Amino acid sequence: MSDSAVLAARSIVKRFGAVTALDGVSFELRAGEIHALCGENGAGKSTLIKLLSGVHPHGSYEGDIFVDGLPVEFRSTRDAERAGIAIIHQELALFPEMTVGENLFLGAFPRRFGRIDWDRVYAQSSATLADCGIQLDPATRVGDLGVGQQQLVEIARAIARKPKVLVLDEPTAALSRNEIDTLLAQLRKLRERGVACVFISHKLDEVFAIADRITVLRDGAAQGTLATAGTDADEIIRRMVGRRIEDHYPRRQSTCGRTLLALHGVNVDPPNAGGLALRGIEFEARAGEVLGIGGLMGAGRTELLMHLMGLWGNRRAGTVELDGQPFTADNPRVALAHGLAIVTEDRKRYGLVLPQGVTFNVSLSSLKRLRRGAFVDRDAEVARTRTIADDLRIKAQTLEQPVGTLSGGNQQKVVLGKMLLTQPKVLLLDEPTRGIDVGAKLEVYELINRLTAAGQAIVLVSSELGELMGMSDRIVMLCEGRVGGTFERSEATQERLLAAAMGRLEHAA
Amino acid sequence: MNRFATRELSMLVALVAIWAFFAWQEPVFLSARNLSLLSVELAVTAVLALGMLVVLLPGQIDLSAGSGVGLAGAVAAVLVFWHEVPAPVALLIATLGAVLVWSAMGALIAIERIPAFIMTLGGLLVFRGLHWLVIENQTVPVVEGGSQNVYSLLTTYYLPDVAGYVLAGLAVTAIVASALGARKRRQSYGFPVDDGELTFLKLFVLAQFVFLVVIVTNGYRGVPIALVILGLVAVLVHQLVTNTPFGRYLYAIGGNEEAAAVSGVPVRNTIIGAYALMGGIVALTGFMQTAYSGASTSTVGSLMELDAVAACVIGGTSLRGGRGTVLGVLFGALIMASLLNGMTLMAVSPEAKYIARGIVLALAVWLDLRLGKGR
Repeated sequence: MSDSAVLAARSIVKRFGAVTALDGVSFELRAGEIHALCGENGAGKSTLIKLLSGVHPHGSYEGDIFVDGLPVEFRSTRDAERAGIAIIHQELALFPEMTVGENLFLGAFPRRFGRIDWDRVYAQSSATLADCGIQLDPATRVGDLGVGQQQLVEIARAIARKPKVLVLDEPTAALSRNEIDTLLAQLRKLRERGVACVFISHKLDEVFAIADRITVLRDGAAQGTLATAGTDADEIIRRMVGRRIEDHYPRRQSTCGRTLLALHGVNVDPPNAGGLALRGIEFEARAGEVLGIGGLMGAGRTELLMHLMGLWGNRRAGTVELDGQPFTADNPRVALAHGLAIVTEDRKRYGLVLPQGVTFNVSLSSLKRLRRGAFVDRDAEVARTRTIADDLRIKAQTLEQPVGTLSGGNQQKVVLGKMLLTQPKVLLLDEPTRGIDVGAKLEVYELINRLTAAGQAIVLVSSELGELMGMSDRIVMLCEGRVGGTFERSEATQERLLAAAMGRLEHAA
Repeated sequence: MNRFATRELSMLVALVAIWAFFAWQEPVFLSARNLSLLSVELAVTAVLALGMLVVLLPGQIDLSAGSGVGLAGAVAAVLVFWHEVPAPVALLIATLGAVLVWSAMGALIAIERIPAFIMTLGGLLVFRGLHWLVIENQTVPVVEGGSQNVYSLLTTYYLPDVAGYVLAGLAVTAIVASALGARKRRQSYGFPVDDGELTFLKLFVLAQFVFLVVIVTNGYRGVPIALVILGLVAVLVHQLVTNTPFGRYLYAIGGNEEAAAVSGVPVRNTIIGAYALMGGIVALTGFMQTAYSGASTSTVGSLMELDAVAACVIGGTSLRGGRGTVLGVLFGALIMASLLNGMTLMAVSPEAKYIARGIVLALAVWLDLRLGKGR
């Protein structure tokens, strides 16, 4: 370790249950440098900075952290703050109902005779904002600001605490071009004052514009630290990929039939102004085919599926065809009725009624077709659920067991079963194997094979490149709401997929 | 399963304790006359509570129910007494009006996303004002002098003794048939069922209870028609919430609204439907409560919404939605009605009654949270 390291981590191992998120990572931040962390989704970047900022307390990991060469044991984020480490998380942590000034000083209000000295709050806020190059009235309600400006306020708040180290987790994801320039200029200014900075970004052009050094993480292991001047984007991408593919992907190709789902030049505006918009989306999925959709966090994968189901955004241009017919869904009911079904990423939130049993959940989307007169036909309902449960090997004591008490894999099968009972032509799967064990994963893959063999089309969204390449017949990579590249199975390599996801296809090609 | 049984048992113990206390303090509590009156009071409270169950299941609430009870009763009374509209027509008009108004509230809640608490709190005030306007701050009888009509008979008609027994026989047969049928089905599905002896014991006790009610009420004037109405509403609501797609949607929305929407549940229409049904039940309760009072006065229905919510909560309905049964609500209503009836017999002051009701409600919720822990 060099003497100039303000913050260093040595041989860090961090496990979440059986999953090893960081496997012996060492990292060193020098005074007055901007140090970028690069890596795929799930490579361990966020875990690492959460460790450095006390979110994961001392004792929950192995290895040592040093500040100014001395070992430290952060038990909370407060400890880290006291040591001069300020972090800006991906999700904004501002209070929308309070003013900019209140947000800047929350928890550290200047006082006078025991009361908050509001004059000083606003005077100092103005000074801080001006110092950061942000033109804002500190009396503005934060909720009235755009996402980009809120991000800048968050950064100003961190700077107001005068940190030695500033950690930014994808700070530019929601910013416009101008705001990004303001932010980068601000970071350079901080560097001149000797503040060290850890910078996470998926946008390599930003990384090369600002960083002094780059550390690449892959699968929880450091892949080397490089001086920006001595490397290029291709080198970084090469180090990011090469993930070991431990899982077995049993994709069996089936004969392709007619086109079941086709999108042509689809533009979708987000429900909230300033959010991610989808532009020029173009792909098709044929009967018997798995279409993979990949992309980095925030590329618009989930939004695209949600839009198809009638749950997200307003379509401004382009056409969607479902089995040859123009198709627009205002709500999931319409989509389900037309043979489009979805298994959502967040199954507890969007997939399951946790206190209710397996039968209740599996039949929920098909009750209209399980009627006898005005009543639900219990015989048919239980019989169908039993068939599905046997077919998917759902392990439950009885079909009445509340799904909240089932394991993750079995819960996922219940959601799958519910959608299969609607007999969809096209099944949208959003991260269908997230958080389930290896055995259940394999079963999901087998199911995908069976469904495509039976002539259904599957749209598979996954952030694991291995899964995408292993299970898809064709792959569309999204990048910031656009198609970054489309690949046949045979021409897909990890490098090319990742380059497309980063909008740098031409560099890797 | 076990926890559920504990809960049922503790409610039964509470009920027995309440009855024992009142019987000890006022032996007349157990007289045929008082129990007969209690059954009418139970019917009024329970019918409204069953409507409240349908609204609470999808996680909504109706604070305007009590005011609505007063208003619906008043509209019908004014039509009959001042405008000489035939009673059945008056009841029909008031019912349709209530269904329309409640559907509109439901639409504002489901589509415009006005929180149910605020929407129905507004309804509470508006309907109370309309109620007083309609009766012009007077007392409006439901019928001229000593004569009778369909309206007034709602709480004053009693079945002949024989009819009571026949009805009890039919009811018990239907209950036994449906219980055994359900048990057989569950067995064929491979679901767990109570063992034969326990099933027999439960049905035997229930049958005895039904006949006991008939014997006791026959000791006064016969089975009150209000109790028959309650029975019909209870069967209807039970079938609705357990055996129809609409009922499943209620539980699904209350259990997880977002998941319900993604699953294709018509969330808005279901909530509007729940309120429409509540409107009809509010009107029916309004007629019964007004008839029981003999006239529409400015206080009819006051605070009944809270008794209805209390009955639901005591009966194990979750205020967050997704949990609750008809049987539980009937139990809860019986506890509330017994408390009020007993305290009236003991000549407890209105002030103390309010305090007692409040404490019971808070106690029931606390108990529910304690028993619900570890879920």
